[in-house]
Formats: sequence, structure tokens, C-alpha cells
Amino acid sequence: MGEGGNRSVHDIDRRQRTVKGRTTLIGAGMIAWLIVSGSGCVSKDEAPRLRTVSLPDVSRAADSVQEQLRARYASLTLTAENANTAAAVLGNEYGEMGKLLMASEYRDAAEPCFLNAQALMPSDIRWPYYLAHLYRLRGEPAKSAAYFESTLRLQPDDVAALVWLGGIYLVQGRPEAAESQFSKALVLRPHLGAALFGLGRTALAKREYAGAVKYLEEALAQDQLASSIHYPLATAYRGLGDTDKAESHLRQRGQVDPLPPDPLMSELNGLLHSALAYERLGEKALDKKEWQAAVAYFRKGVEIAPDNASVRHRLGTALFLSGDAVGAAQQFEEVLRRSPDFAKARYSLGVLMISSGREREAIEHLSAAVKYDPRYVEGRLRLAEVLRRRGRLEEALAQYEQVMMIDPRAAEAPFGVAITFIHLRRYQDARDRLIEGMHEYPSQPAFARALARVLAAAPDDRVRDSQQAMTMTQQLIAQRQTVDLAETMAMTLAGMGQYKQAAALQREVMAAANKAGHQEVVKQLAENLARYERNEPCRTPLRADDPIEAFEPVLSQN
Amino acid sequence: MLLLLLLASLTGCKADRAAQAPSRATDTARNGEPEWFVDRAHDVGIDFVHFNGMSGEFYFPESMAPGVGLLDYDNDGDLDVYLVQGTMLGANTISQAAFPPGNPLPLRGRLFRNDMTIHQDGTRTLRFTDVTERSGIDSRGYGMGVAVGDFNNDGCVDLYLTNFGPNQMFRNNCDGTFADVSKQSKTNDPGFSVSASFVDYDRDGWLDLYVGNYLDYTIEANQKCFLITGERDYCPPTAYRAQPDRLYHNNRDGTYADVTAKALVGGEYGPALGVATADFDSDGWLDIYVANDNHDNLLWMNQRNGTFRNTALSSGAALTSEGKAEASMGVDAGDFDNDGDEDLFITELTGEGSNLYVNDGTAVFEDQSARSGLGALSLPYTGFGTAWFDFDNDGWLDIMAVNGTIAAIEALRRANDPFPLRQRKQLFRNLANGQFEEVADRAGAAFQLSEVGRGAAFGDIDNDGDVDVLVGNDAGPTRLLINNVGDRKHWLGLRLVGERKRDMYGARVAVLRGKGSTLWRRARADGSYASANDPRVVVGLGDSTEAPTVRVIWPSGRVEEWARVAIDRYTTLIEGSGR
Repeated sequence: MGEGGNRSVHDIDRRQRTVKGRTTLIGAGMIAWLIVSGSGCVSKDEAPRLRTVSLPDVSRAADSVQEQLRARYASLTLTAENANTAAAVLGNEYGEMGKLLMASEYRDAAEPCFLNAQALMPSDIRWPYYLAHLYRLRGEPAKSAAYFESTLRLQPDDVAALVWLGGIYLVQGRPEAAESQFSKALVLRPHLGAALFGLGRTALAKREYAGAVKYLEEALAQDQLASSIHYPLATAYRGLGDTDKAESHLRQRGQVDPLPPDPLMSELNGLLHSALAYERLGEKALDKKEWQAAVAYFRKGVEIAPDNASVRHRLGTALFLSGDAVGAAQQFEEVLRRSPDFAKARYSLGVLMISSGREREAIEHLSAAVKYDPRYVEGRLRLAEVLRRRGRLEEALAQYEQVMMIDPRAAEAPFGVAITFIHLRRYQDARDRLIEGMHEYPSQPAFARALARVLAAAPDDRVRDSQQAMTMTQQLIAQRQTVDLAETMAMTLAGMGQYKQAAALQREVMAAANKAGHQEVVKQLAENLARYERNEPCRTPLRADDPIEAFEPVLSQN
Repeated sequence: MLLLLLLASLTGCKADRAAQAPSRATDTARNGEPEWFVDRAHDVGIDFVHFNGMSGEFYFPESMAPGVGLLDYDNDGDLDVYLVQGTMLGANTISQAAFPPGNPLPLRGRLFRNDMTIHQDGTRTLRFTDVTERSGIDSRGYGMGVAVGDFNNDGCVDLYLTNFGPNQMFRNNCDGTFADVSKQSKTNDPGFSVSASFVDYDRDGWLDLYVGNYLDYTIEANQKCFLITGERDYCPPTAYRAQPDRLYHNNRDGTYADVTAKALVGGEYGPALGVATADFDSDGWLDIYVANDNHDNLLWMNQRNGTFRNTALSSGAALTSEGKAEASMGVDAGDFDNDGDEDLFITELTGEGSNLYVNDGTAVFEDQSARSGLGALSLPYTGFGTAWFDFDNDGWLDIMAVNGTIAAIEALRRANDPFPLRQRKQLFRNLANGQFEEVADRAGAAFQLSEVGRGAAFGDIDNDGDVDVLVGNDAGPTRLLINNVGDRKHWLGLRLVGERKRDMYGARVAVLRGKGSTLWRRARADGSYASANDPRVVVGLGDSTEAPTVRVIWPSGRVEEWARVAIDRYTTLIEGSGR
């Protein structure tokens, strides 16, 4: 059907093609006539004035999108040409056209569709509601507010409109008006996370920190996956002077918003048959941990664009998260069959192999990942980790050192170097690297934990320092009690000649491991217990699968 | 009847006006009043059109340049201009460029010398001369931005150019020429750099250098990205990894040492676009704020021992009040509420709204974007270059933002605009109550031009006591917006220099007014987006004719005062010569 330019017969730009025959767009005058003739009860003078609607140039869009938009436009045109069309039917056609255009992010083109739909069906809340969102997305808060207000005049108990309008009022710097909307929403839907979140933000805007904490804590309780609540909650706690709680919430911050149930927008967002549209829907489902829904969306995306490595890779990820490791592997392998240099798929296969104990294959995949993407930090870190576990220590070191050159933020790399030094029995180097790490990354406790262990149990007399190990371990335990720190304390006590206390503590650690069902760990711990009972110190800082080796990054909290 | 109805409805269609040349014949607006700002670029000899090398491959740098620079390279008391230029990217040749070059080849950055004449009656004739050839500045890479500073303390300002590719340092020889010392200085970072700032962070009297790096991007690894419809478009920054910024310490011998790992504790970084340095906690040491694209912004607080710690998150300066990491392109620090501390303004994408973070004096910030009105007013626009400046000299800092999207504007796309990213500029007037109003509709025809605005440098180009604006447009002509309104009020002009006549970036100025509050300003060349500003301080005094006392807090920590400093003229204050 046409290509290039707007597909409107009434386009006054003569460079653009004329659309012929049945696809001719109906102008306002004819619409008025149709309404008069169709309804039989609207006079010519009362006929709503309609706007010109035209299809944008979709020639560069994906085939599935072109088909969809053209089919919808054809339906609109056919309906409009039919002299017997009732106003509501025509209004619906305009509305559906508008929805599809909006879903395609052709917001300017969608606008007249919705305006026409509203003119033809003035008591239908869908059209002012969609217009409100359209203006919101276009960055026109005044218009958006006006249309949410229109929606609410038609349906005062529309919770989604109340919450969205409250949000717009906040953007406009009108917290009092916002509060009113959120409060109404809460009356209609008690415990609604989105409304509580809105009231919390409103209270913050008014600097009412105690009120903000109250609402935001309740919002979090109602919608624990809405990680974006943590940041304003942190701000509220900071306003109250509670920096510990503020920092705790900052660490948990995320980007998932609490949203009101919004069937109209959900419907609109699910309309477009495009790979990217399904990818976005799938990502939202992943955020909400709705694995099966995510799988379904990504599958649709793959059906439309089988060569799209990104969507297929996400499908694999969603399958893995849903528990289907085999399905996941198949998708990752299919990605590589079509796009051999897609490093993320190689990485994902590597991680899958690690989780199923196939470390040799994991090394192959991870090596390929970093070969195709030499700056793939995560790929190099996982490769280094598995190389280290396999005893290929020099190769592991090389990978960690590459990461340190690529990304100074990656504290795991210098930590990994230190742990590898321990395995290489280069205890001085390990100690020095850990001390440097403590200074460079003061918010990462892994360095201190590992250093305390080295100081407690290194066989090198130049490195071992029981006194310092004791001081450090006590400080660390005061912050957080963990099994590995208890082991370190036991080693330290033994190193200071306090074998009875060491043995007693070791037995406690073993009991804890036993209770947790870690029988292998209990066996390993028994070796040190035997030493302590023989009045011998431990001179092996790390045991097999020692938790000290695991880097648990703390999200930056300043 | 049908056609008439349709014509009537088409006039309601939302479409940006095509770029149009402003009226040159007169500076008079329709109501007979002089236009507040008038574009004089062409009239005064700045005929420069940025070339972005677009060829349909959607290479990332095409949509991000250029910055612009103001500097007095010849020390004759007026501001000269440096303009960054692009090149073709990838394997395509110039003949395949979407927009052919608007200037003669070869494509290179250009230096324009200000040859202004001030007549006896006080009127000015502005004239610029392209002196690139004789200057020795040879910059033919893909230019991104400009930073200026006298890094060797010889009294002549030097030039640092950020590129997509190795950066360049040009040392001013103080004779109208420059030498390329990129390699010798060891500042030729090969990354994708955008904004940079000269800052004496350790108070040793020598300018160090912070370079904001953007993305780990190469032409060879250019990804294909698509709109939701499947149509090809530029990729978002999240398609690539960020590149670490760099902090260089001045070795005082013409070289720098890369102290990034040692000095920036925690090593955090993001895709940096804007950099602004200021003393945010008023402890006498300069801090560094970095605006990152779609990532937490950074607030490197000076620890006074050669290191910095990033406190942006805990201090409310990393994210919006909702916890969102927004696009964050341009940034400036300024005391807009006249309470003595530096507040932050950051330009953002369409739909995000620009952000105002208000300092409580201890480098803890509150997001007042909504309360100020700035958030809502800027929602429809994507802002880049920006600055706090008192355009009308009423004593309150206003804001200007140059706009231009990075995603195609639907109306322009429908009109077959080959570069459908054009938007008009915005000017926000400070209402002195924490709120702002947009006044671009009164600012002149130049503010109604829809262009792809990127860099903006602010400075008094005609030395008449009000701040003018140099604007760089992506694949478009440079604009020189001369301010016609600020000089209707009284003003105080200060140049703050050290004993070696170097501009003392970061020096804070308190203008103590007998009948009014103290006005705080700061000497700076950084901020905005990829651009270099006039370091002189222009303080609007409104209708006051009183010659105020001026107190300066120098970057060294020394505090001095000058009494009854003359108004409506420039005065140079030299460190060590005050009370």
C-alpha cells in the first residue's frame, strides 16, 4: 500500500503520495453527515467536529507492525465510509486506532483519534483516560491533568485515574491536590500500594517526614517487589535523622514502581505485535518475578523476530529463572547458532554449566564470551572464579588483572587476586592486596573478612598476626555474626594458644553447620577441631569451598 | 468545504517550526522593545556549521556533539571563541554524509579571535576573525567538547579538547599560537570523553584535570537498536558500558599523573556527560559533581588529603526524589536562592523534567524540581547545555537550557525532517521565591528557533556587563546570542586572578550589599555540557548604585576583602592585594 509520507488524501504537501480508492480518509464534513444520517437523532448543527486522522509512514517498521497498523487503519476507513455507521461504532474504531498508534509510540497520530473517539462517545471514560496518558508521556502535565480530571468526572471511583492524577499533581508541585487524589484512591482500595506510595511522596514533598515514613513503610509492606519505594523511604528516614535506616533502604533501592491496577493501559501496552514490545513486557514480568508470564512474552517476541539475539537470550534467562534449565540452554544455543559472537549467550551457557557442575565446559563458554567481548567484566570474573576452583591459578590471576584494568569499580577483581594469592601460598602478597582493597573499597567487608583469616592462620610467620586478627574479627563480628567469622575467631584463639576456647567455638560452628544440613562442611570443620584438641593451631587459612572466598558486594551507599 | 475544514484542522497539528534565520535587520521585537537576545553569529563573522558525519548508520557520537568554548586566549580583555568540529565516522566518505559540510574543508575545530571595537560613545562593534591556521591548533578528530585553564601558570589560558578518540591538550604559547602537548602532558585519554574541568583540587596552586568519559563505544562494535515499531534508531546509552572517568594531578612540569584509582575512592563511575566543580560544603576545598547518563550521578567530596569520596546517594544528589537515575546531560552549580551555598541544576530528557537539587549548606540536597516549577516546565524538552546566570541583572540567578532531543520527534519525522531532533531553547527567570517562570517567548526570535542544541558557553562577549551565550548545534550553525537586556540594570564585573595572573577557578565571591542580602557567586569555566564558560563573575545589582564590598574566598583558603568596588565596570582582583 503506499510508502513514504503521510497516507492522507487530504495532505497538502504535494510531495507525498495520494492514497486512492477505499483507503481514502474521511474528512470532518462527511463524518458530520454520517452521524446525522446514522443516528437519526443528532442534528447537523450538533454533529461533533472531528479531526483529520492519517496513518504515519510505517514503511520502515517491522512487517508485523505494518500489517497491524494498516489493517486497523483499513478497518477505520471502511467503517467511516459506511453511511450507516453509528456514532459509537465509529468512535470505537477511532479509539482502537488511537490505542494502536499510541502503543506504537506514534503519539501525535494517536491524539486526533482519541479526540474523535471522545467527541463521538463523550461518556466513555476510555478516551479521556488514554488522552491523559498520552499527554503525560508527551511531557504535557497540564493537559494530562485536565484529561484525568475529565475521566474522574465521568467515573469518580476510577482508582487508576486517581493515582495517576495524584502523580501529575506532584510533578506540578501541588502536593495538597495530590494528597486528595491518593486519599480518595485509598478509600476505594484500602492498602493499595500505589496510593500509599503517593501519600508518602506527598508527605515528603511537604517535608512531613514522619508521615512519609508511615505511608512508605506501609506501601512496602503491601508491595514488597516495588523496590523504588526504598529510595524515598531512605530520604524520609534521613529527614528524621535516622541514618542507619536511611542507609539500609538505600542499599535496597531499585526501579520497580508500585502501580495501580490499570486494565486500560495493560490492554494498550499488550497491543503491539513487535519484538521490542514483547521484550519490554517480558522485562516488566521479570521485575515482578512472574517467570511464566515473562517466558510467554519473550516467546512471542522470538516468534516475530527469530534472529533477534537479545529477545531470545532473555527468553533463555526467563526459562532458567522459571526452573527450566534445559529449555534455557536450548535457547542460548540457538542464539549462538544464529549469532555466534553474542557474548551474553556464551556467558549464560557458562553459568548454566557451572550450576550443573560441568566446569570444564563452563570454562570453554566463558572463554569464548570474553574472546568476543574482551571488556565483558562479568564474563571474566566468572571465568576467573571457575579457573581458580579448578586450580588453574595463574590463568585466574590473569583474568582478575584484566578486569582491574577494565573496570576500577569491580572490587571483586582485586578481591579475587587476593584469594588466588592465598591458594598460591603467596601470603604476603595476599595480605598486601587485602589491605589495599580495604582502603580502596571501604564499604566492601569481604576484604576485611579475608584479611582477618590470613592474619589468623597464614603459615608464614611474617604474615600471621594473631593480635591483629583478634581485633579485626571482634570488630567484624560486632557488625555481623557469620559462620566464617566464627571459624576465624576459633583459628585466632588457637593461634594465641587458647585451644580450649578454640575447640569450644569450633564445636559451636560445627553444630550450626550440622543444623543447616551441611554435612560436608561439618567433616571439614572436624579437621580443625581435632587440631585444637591436640593443642595445635590451624595453618590453613582456607578450606574447600570456604565462604570467605565468596565476594558478597555491598551496593554503594556512600 | 471539506478542504477548508481540513485546512483549519491542520493548523492545529503539532509540528515544530522549521529552523528559520532570525531577523538581522533590527534587534527590535514586534512590540517595539529590543529583543532580549539576538543571534549575531553570522553578522560578526562566526560562520560555523557543525558537521556530525551522519550517514544513516546511527553511530552514537552523531547525536551528542558539539560543545563550545569561550576563552581570552590573547589576553586582550575580550572573549574569543573555540568551536569543536566533527568528521565522518566509519568507512563512509564525506560524499555519503547526510548533511554535507557547511564550511570549507578540511574539517577541523576553529578558533575565532574577538576583534571587538568599543567606540567613544560606548557602542560596540563585534567582529570575529578565524585565526585557526595561525594558531597552530590542529584538531581533526571527532570533537566533543572544550575545557579551558592555564595549566602551566604562565598567565595564558590553555585549551583541552575532548574527543571521541584521543583527547588533546594545546598549550598557549602566549603569542597567538598553541602547541600540541597532548602526549607530553599525558592527558591524551583515548576514550569517549565529553566534559572536562580544570580544578585545583589539592590547593597547590596548579590546575588539575577531571575528564568525564562516556561510553565504551567503538564504531566497529556499533549495535543496531530499534524503536518499538522495529524502525532503526540511535541506541540508548544502556546498550553500552560506561567508561571510567579520569582524574589527573598536575605535576607542575607540563605533565599530569593519572591518579584516578588512588584519588577517587571506590572507583565509581558512570556514563559521564556533565561536570561541575564547586565547594559544595563550604569547607574551602573544591568538590566535583558528575552528571551521568541513566546512572547515579556522582558527588566527589574532597577529603582534603588528595582523595575524594562519592556521597551523591546519601546526600540526595545522585537520583531524583523518586529514586530515578535520569539522563543528566548538562549541569551547573550556582546559588540561585542567595543563601550562600551552591545548588545544582541538571538538564534531562523529554518526559523526565530537568532537576533542581537545593543545597542545605552541608552538601545535602533536596530535589525541588517540582516545587520550583522547573520540572514541569522542562518536561517536553531534552536539555543539554545550561547555566545559572543572571540574564537581567536583577540579582537573582536565572537558567537557560539549550534543547534538542536524542529520539526522533514524531511531528518532524512525519514532515520528513532528516534530523528530526529539533527543539527550541528555554529561559527560566528566577522569581526570587524559589520558583521560576519560563520567559523564552519574550527573549527574542533566537529562542524560537528549533535546532538540535547541545553545547552552550556563557560569558560577556561584548563586555557590556551582561552575560551572552554561545550555542553549539548538532549538524547546525553556531549561534551567538547577544544579551540586550542585562545592561539596563547595574552590575559588578570581577576577574579573579592569582599572583601569576591565572583565573582562579573555584574562587567564591561574596558581594556584601548594605541594603540587601549578600550575593554569592563563583569564578568558573566548567559546567554546562562539554563547554567552557567565561570565568569572570558578573553580578547583577538591579537598581542599586551602591559600590559594594567584595569578599573573596580564594581556592587556597585565603580570604580577602575589597571595599567600594566600582560598579558597571570590570575590576580585576588579584590574590594577595586585598585586605
